[in-house]
Amino acid sequence: MLHAFKLIVVALIGLGLGLGATYHAVERGQDRGLGVGLIFGAVKAGPWTGWPKTGTRESDPYARALFARNGETPIGLTEGLSFLARADSHARPFDSACDYTVKGAIPAARFWTLSALSPQGRTLPAISERHGFTSSEILRDFDGGFEIKVSASARPGDWLEVAQGQPFVLMLRLYDTALSANPYSVTAGVMPAIAREGCR
Amino acid sequence: MKRKQGLVGDTIFHLLPILAGCLVVAGLVHIATIFLLPRLATKDAFARLSAIAPAHQVVLLPDGAGGPFDDPALAQGMCRFDLAQGPLRLRATLTPDALMLFSFHGRHGQIFYSMTDRSATRGKLDMLLLTREQLNVVEANDAEDELPQDLRIIAPTLEGFVLFRSLAENPGEMAQAQARIAALSCGLDRDQRP
Repeated sequence: MLHAFKLIVVALIGLGLGLGATYHAVERGQDRGLGVGLIFGAVKAGPWTGWPKTGTRESDPYARALFARNGETPIGLTEGLSFLARADSHARPFDSACDYTVKGAIPAARFWTLSALSPQGRTLPAISERHGFTSSEILRDFDGGFEIKVSASARPGDWLEVAQGQPFVLMLRLYDTALSANPYSVTAGVMPAIAREGCR
Repeated sequence: MKRKQGLVGDTIFHLLPILAGCLVVAGLVHIATIFLLPRLATKDAFARLSAIAPAHQVVLLPDGAGGPFDDPALAQGMCRFDLAQGPLRLRATLTPDALMLFSFHGRHGQIFYSMTDRSATRGKLDMLLLTREQLNVVEANDAEDELPQDLRIIAPTLEGFVLFRSLAENPGEMAQAQARIAALSCGLDRDQRP
């Protein structure tokens, strides 16, 4: 009798813990700002994190479970690479009350885009109706460098609008890049830096 | 004849297998649910796209119909397939220098093949998506002295979808990017008898 009781207790506690762990990984993982869920196969380069394996046959079970829940369709590794940033280069989490500049190096790619999204991956409300920039449309300085200003209020130059009071993440995508052949070789030095300029 | 600390030791000794049991059950439940989720999910990409797109034709995805973390600079289209009805033929005449992405997704979302317009020869793409059995039939009918002109891709699941994404280099070019997708051809292959 006592034995059966013990087994039931073990089964119930185990079930609760197991489901809790799955919920934590999959549901909270939908908020890419929290840094849970996508835990395997990540490549970090400065403020940027990529999950190149999600675009291949070798995507891990956590990524598959996550994408099955939110309906995400990642880009294939041979199409390009996606990188997400949820904090600046000093690892301070993004705050829409602050201004940021994204500038510096960028890996060689036929095209690249930088966009601002909610941590759940949805477009943010924007008066400018602009949710991102492509490499074809940004202003360049004499050395071919670029500087994108991320702010909730209008800025001269290339202004990427984020919504006041709403959390956001930045996505950098490199299309048709040689880096696809060796995505884990990417380092902070070849990626753009994200500097926090000031907060209101 | 138990000593005092023996009683504490006994309790731990009795609890230990229970704790270990809980962890083992938790681990099994966690692993099982993670692996089962893609099969049970009702809101995955395939379910979402099936609801808006009939099979075997190119369908442009309206704004907001894509999934989370889509690049807002990309126009999107899809072609859903069901290989039980026969192999899928995909043909494209590409615009030079316009980025076009192709990704092939199985029923449970996994990407099994992807490429860009760079893989085209002389601006054209000709792809045949089929099962291993269908490939055997096709190869048996191939002329022996010439190489096949199409790219043949084996799908891991009978059902799935091909996603087409085309870059609008600036927001004003979204209509052109959509037109490039609409110009693709995708359908059941007429040369193959199921």
